Amino acid sequence: MLSLFRITEVSAHCDLPCGVYDPAQARIEAESIKAIIAKVADNDDPDFRTRAILIKEQRSELVKHHLWVLWTDYFKAPHFEKYPQLHTLFNEATKLAGASGTKGELDAAKADELLAKIDEIAAIFAETKKA
Amino acid sequence: MRLPVLPALVRVRGRSMVPTYRDGDVLLVVRGLRPRAGRAHVVRLPPTADGTPRPVAVKRVTGPDPDDPSRWWLDSDNPAEGVTSFDVGSVTGDDVLAVVAGRLWRTLG
Repeated sequence: MLSLFRITEVSAHCDLPCGVYDPAQARIEAESIKAIIAKVADNDDPDFRTRAILIKEQRSELVKHHLWVLWTDYFKAPHFEKYPQLHTLFNEATKLAGASGTKGELDAAKADELLAKIDEIAAIFAETKKA
Repeated sequence: MRLPVLPALVRVRGRSMVPTYRDGDVLLVVRGLRPRAGRAHVVRLPPTADGTPRPVAVKRVTGPDPDDPSRWWLDSDNPAEGVTSFDVGSVTGDDVLAVVAGRLWRTLG
């Protein structure tokens, strides 16, 4: 394999190909967002509310990050062929975690919608793991 | 098994050995030598948990595995990126395929 007459490519890869993916990561962050929204509703302390909102925005970013990792690194072309709704699901889910969703708003209904979308993605993920 | 000492050429792909080696660098490596702690080597990484093989890689052999001195501990030069023994565990001497003797070529840019 290694030879002086042929240049062999050797990997020094940035991505960790550990193969560990799980939509649970996104779900945990989304659950945290939902709980933060509930806590803010019951609290009038401006400092607490500020902190809560900051954390909610960070968690929303994390939801987007985890979903994007699944979208780009875990799911492959054959998955998108078999589940043509996947692209739209990821688009809608990350939008729900964005400025018009849990990141920008304090709406528990948005958090529930986000959790439902993550569950839809998780169901497809589970099916691909069975295959 | 002891291989004959033979030179070979490899090309680096990826950023885990930055700043020492960059993507596209061509290295002269030597097979058949005992791994040398502290030097970069061409290694066979262990497969993933579900058995998917990982590619042959260039990594630094930092020294023997503290838990098993018969095995070798791998690290990347780029602390921010790359697979290391912290992720995949140490490797056997047979998985250390060659020692990097030096860089022959680097593309501009």
